[in-house]
Amino acid sequence: MSGPRQRAARLLRWYPRAWRARYDEEFTELLIADLTERPRSPARAADVIRGGLVARLTDAGLCGFAPDGAERAGPGARASLASLACCAAVFLGFGGSEWSQLAIGWQWSAPDTAAAVATVVMSGAMLVLAGLALLAGLPVARAVAARIARGRARGLIVPSALFLGGLVVMVVGGRHFGNGWPGTGGHPWTHPGPVPGGVAAFAWASTLSVSSFWAHPAALAAFPAAELTWMALSPLALACLVTGAAAALRRTELSPAVLRFETRLARAACLTMAVFLGAGWAWIADRAPRAGSLFHPGVIDVAGLAVMALALATGWQAARQAAR
Amino acid sequence: MSANKALDGLGRYAGPATLILASLAGGAKHGYALTKDIESFAGVRVAPGTLYEALARLQSQGLIEPVESQDRRRPYRLTAVGATALQAQLDAQRRVADVGLRRLAQGWGTA
Repeated sequence: MSGPRQRAARLLRWYPRAWRARYDEEFTELLIADLTERPRSPARAADVIRGGLVARLTDAGLCGFAPDGAERAGPGARASLASLACCAAVFLGFGGSEWSQLAIGWQWSAPDTAAAVATVVMSGAMLVLAGLALLAGLPVARAVAARIARGRARGLIVPSALFLGGLVVMVVGGRHFGNGWPGTGGHPWTHPGPVPGGVAAFAWASTLSVSSFWAHPAALAAFPAAELTWMALSPLALACLVTGAAAALRRTELSPAVLRFETRLARAACLTMAVFLGAGWAWIADRAPRAGSLFHPGVIDVAGLAVMALALATGWQAARQAAR
Repeated sequence: MSANKALDGLGRYAGPATLILASLAGGAKHGYALTKDIESFAGVRVAPGTLYEALARLQSQGLIEPVESQDRRRPYRLTAVGATALQAQLDAQRRVADVGLRRLAQGWGTA
């Protein structure tokens, strides 16, 4: 059996790095003393694991307080906003998949009322979210650029490279696979929908990985190799993009005025996502007969809606924490 | 935040927080000494994860502060704000205890 120090070190891994940097030695000493006195205690292990998870949620700006109180208010708010950005990315990954499915469907045939209303509302929400993302990103990009220009690029190079790399892959890949699909892009036999064909195709291609085909390997095997590679690669590129943006946000000091501005945008984004989710739910819950139709929701859409609801709930919590 | 309301925001940590503050009222202590002291006067063993969650929250609210130490086991001590908060919390608990004891004596004849 390993000694108390090794066991304490293992338990300590449940806590985030920032917490360990602050409490490592003293907490380890407490654990060693406790482990020596009571070698076996599942309740203690459960308590430490729960404490570690709470500390991780706190570190992500999703609950509680910052370890050093008021001095950490700025970093705490930035951590909350970074978590919201990650939640919004997950939401848009699944939401974009459903929205592009409806938008492309409208290119081919006229939708029923529920699908039409959902498409229009979701399109409006997408437009608002794009605007909010732009408004939120500009001050952060400016602060990052200013810090790099002042020669204080330490800690920002890797996040910036991840963000730019992910962005380039998503844009190039999305354009490539979107252009290669004949269902959109203003072909003469298509119906005019509310969403430009190129935009719908780009959203469809960017979210190609959100697919029920993963559950059908035989069907998946018939896909062209390039498309399969893109389905596997695009989530990684999106993860790089979002991770880079979130890390850059966490590491860049923002003025209180900019933080307040970002927090207001965060709330607006959550409300917009709620509207989007409501439209998606109305489309899926509508009982209009659509078997075989392009507007027929599948299991992946229901699962996507559940993931979006979870992402929205987490993002809302992050927005609330950012405002504290 | 006023010291009188300081423990209100601790939610489910108010219990461990009160025990920790009561223990530190007797002098600065490190984590393990806190655990043993609380166990001796309250009969409750505060688990390590819960103890440090509460310590971090109390420190963030300025109710306790770490003491400079060469030892790996860092001690904590009560601040003036913490002492006022503890006083307010214990006064509130005493009021509840007084009412409960009086009603028990009246309705149930217990001493």
